[in-house]
Parts: sequence; C-alpha cells; structure tokens
Amino acid sequence: MNAYYAVFRLRRRLETQYRGAVIGGLICQVFFGLILIALYRALYAGKPQMLPFSHVATYVWLQQAFFRMLLASDAELMDKVRTGGIAYDLCRPMNLYGFYYARILAQKLTGCLLRAAPMLLFAALLPEGWGISLPVSLPALLWALAAWVLGLFCVSALENITMAFTMRTLDPRGMQAMMNLLMMILAGNVLPLTLFPDSWQPVLTALPHAQLLDAPIRIYTGEYALSQAGLILLRQAGWTAALICTGMLFWRRNQRRLVIQGG
Amino acid sequence: MQTIRLYGKSMAMLIRSQLQYPASFLMQTLAQLVMEGGEMLAVILLVQRFDHLNQWTAGNLYFFFGLMAVSFYITECFGRGITGAFPSMVRTGQLDTLLLRPRGVLTQVLCSAVDPRRITCIAVGIVSLVLGSRLSAIRWSFPKILLLLESIFCSFWLILGLFMIEAVLCIYSVKSVELANTLTYGGRSACQYPVDTYPRTLRILFTVVAPFALVMHIPASHILDKPLFAWPAWTAFVTPLAGFVLFGVMYLLFTSAMQHYRSAGN
Repeated sequence: MNAYYAVFRLRRRLETQYRGAVIGGLICQVFFGLILIALYRALYAGKPQMLPFSHVATYVWLQQAFFRMLLASDAELMDKVRTGGIAYDLCRPMNLYGFYYARILAQKLTGCLLRAAPMLLFAALLPEGWGISLPVSLPALLWALAAWVLGLFCVSALENITMAFTMRTLDPRGMQAMMNLLMMILAGNVLPLTLFPDSWQPVLTALPHAQLLDAPIRIYTGEYALSQAGLILLRQAGWTAALICTGMLFWRRNQRRLVIQGG
Repeated sequence: MQTIRLYGKSMAMLIRSQLQYPASFLMQTLAQLVMEGGEMLAVILLVQRFDHLNQWTAGNLYFFFGLMAVSFYITECFGRGITGAFPSMVRTGQLDTLLLRPRGVLTQVLCSAVDPRRITCIAVGIVSLVLGSRLSAIRWSFPKILLLLESIFCSFWLILGLFMIEAVLCIYSVKSVELANTLTYGGRSACQYPVDTYPRTLRILFTVVAPFALVMHIPASHILDKPLFAWPAWTAFVTPLAGFVLFGVMYLLFTSAMQHYRSAGN
C-alpha cells in the first residue's frame, strides 16, 4: 500500500508544477461557465422550467470547477506501449492496475483541487442568478462531499478501463476521443443532465458516468433528498467496485497478451 | 499562382500520408463525427425543452449552429498548421527550417498540415444547415446563396486570424499559450447561438474584438429574414469583411513577431 501512496504523492507534486497552465485553464473555464449561464438564462427567460434556475447555474459552476476530473490526461501509457517502455513497468514489484490507479487518482484530485477553490470563490462572488448558490443544507453539503469522493474513485476506475482498452492498439486516438466524448456528455459537462428530457432521467442517472459529478451535484442542490442520499452513495460504491473489478480483469488479460515493441 | 500549386501538392502529399493507416484514420474520422454529433444533440435537446431562444425558432438555431460548424471545421481542416502544429514547431525549433526556404513562413506553415478527419464535422454542419433551412422555410435566392458563401469564406479568415493570436504569443513566449484559445473555442461555443442571446459585455466582445456577430450572425439573420439590426440589406454583404480585417491585422502582427523570432534551438 505504501508503494501506491508514493506513486500517488509523486504524481500529485508533478501536477502542481505548472501553475501558469493552471491559471490559463482557470480563466478559460470561467469564460465557458459564463457563456453557458448566459445561454441558459436567455432560454429560461423564454420558457421557465420546473427546475429553479439557481440549480442550473450551480450545476454549471460545479461542473466547470471539477472539469479536470473528467478529462483523461495520462498520455504516458500510450507512449510506453508504443515504444516498449511498458517493459519497465512490468518489472515493478507492484500490481500494474494499482500503479496506474494511484497515478490517475492523484492527477485528478490535484487537478481538481487546484482549480476548484479559486473558481468556486469567483462563482460565489457573482451576482444572484449568475453565481453558485449555497448547498441546500449543511448535511447535504457533507453528503455531497462524500459522494464526490466516491465519484473520484469511480472516475479513476472508469479511466483505467479506457486505458486497458487503448493498450490493445498502437494508435488508440480514435477510441480515446470517443470515450472522452461519451464522458463529457453522459457526465453532464456539455449539457446539465438535469436539462436532458425527463423520460431519459432514469437511464441517465443509473449509468456510471452520472456517478462522477452529477450525483454529488444533485445532492448539493437538493434535487436528491437527504433520505435518498444513502441509496445514491450505495449506487456509487456499487459502480466503483464493479468498475475496479472489471478493470483489474482487463489489465490481467492485457498483461498476458502484451507485445513489447522496439528493443 | 505557383504558391497555390505548391499548396495543392503538399495537401495531396499530406492526405496520402494520413491514409497510410486506414483503420486508424477511419476510427478518428468516426470519432469526429460522434463528437460533432454530440454537440448537435445538445442543441436539439435544448430546443426540445425550451422551444425557442428569444425570437429564434428551432430551425433558426440549427441554421446558426450549422454555419458555425461548417466555418470552424473548414478552418481546423485547412488551417491545421496554425491551429494545431505551430506552438510545437516553435518549441522544437522546427520553424527554423522554414526560414531557409524561398517562401513566406505563413504559407509554409499552412502547407505543412491538413486535417482531413474534420470532414465529418463539416458534414454534420451541412446537415444542420439544410435542416435549419428547411425548418425555417428560407426562400433561397441568388443573393442569399452568395451571402451564405461569403459568410463562410470570411469566417474562415476570421477564425484563422483568431488562432494566429496564439501563434504570435508563442513566438514570444516559446511555450503554447492556451489562454488565447478562449476566443477561438470559446467563440465557437458561444457564437453557435446568435449574439443577442448574451449580455452587453459578451455582445461587444463578439462584435468588436472577435467579430463573429459581424461575419456570421448578421448575414445569417438576413438569410433568415429576421435581421439582427434594422440596417439596410446591403450592409449584410459588407460586415463579413471584418473577418479579412482581423486576419490582416493578425498577419501584420505575425510578420512583426517573426522579426523577433529567436530560435529555441534543437
């Protein structure tokens, strides 16, 4: 376990090195958030919905703040498979799945925390109807935080499966682009899941992608009542366990049939 | 004239080289299709829920979306040298080789890359334009067709010019400056909806600084017979030229930045 924690810490430090890029990305994200909210405001003005607008604004800001959680960013493995560098990883006295899981987790956690804090502060300072609103209650905030942590574990497991898939070909760019897109849409980044047609909701919220950010956000805004929160967390935990098991299976099978390129 | 022949030759060469790995190419092209299809799905879902956006009906919105998709991805396809490859050319010192050859730097950069995978994105845009035109019951006439083509052509130069902001900045700072992309990708996301959606500050930004409104929305609103401003009809033909103006300004900045270019070495 210590070894995995060391990998996690190393990766976390690496992620904090590029502060300039963080600030640039932050401004980008804020700009996108403002555009989206302006658009939804105009749409709401034309035809108000059951869902209060403050929920939509909050949804957008939380999605923007934790955007880095969804983004697949570890391109190193692909290079390693292509160049044969993966051989070094195979020599390590640790489980490869765990090794990459720790890396992904660190990257996502650090990437999020660095960006989320200043962004949420900014969103909180915006005027009514533009900014983020407070959580519906203190217990809701605590439940949402717990759900977010579970979401983080879940998304890392999901990405590890994508990586296992991409390991099988030498040029996984097409596959990866598709997985990323699926993630952005089904996790609610392109369009809040709450604005999808009502008849799609049961299916959408049951998918693993909805467990990452959508579930914690809905607990935060009060869309999911507190009495439901326990069940939601259980669903998240279920998906996380299932995805980790599937991922481990994939990685084990991959390792057996892996071809080391180059020399 | 010879430059155009050279351009054609390098395009043919690049496309042939990309087709060397047909399976990968196909997969990536398909991924682009799904990507742009996803963007369009978002618009469709929004329209389903909200019916309309200010005075714009569903068909109008598909038309605006299609216009942006076609223009933006034509630029990403043919302007790939600027939109994608340039920062890494500066960082690795690869740009030095271009300085030795008897052609302009910008020409060579544009000749150095093409991205045919975008063809599916352009196709989605065209489908959206046709759908929008049907649903909005546009009465097409020769001037309107001309106006649409002019708008797309000028948008190409506008978007290329906006991407050149990053190119100019990275000549000075060596590393790529993603911040500059707020105007390009942000502009794409924002201006696939008509500009009157947004509050004043954003409207000014997209009219004066990054004039998507002048190049796309004013002509499109004329084609839809719902002019954004009560200006005489001929102005719709003039405002898209703002795209050329922006490109011209960026071209001058680019040449002056190249004067300061210090190789990053290799």
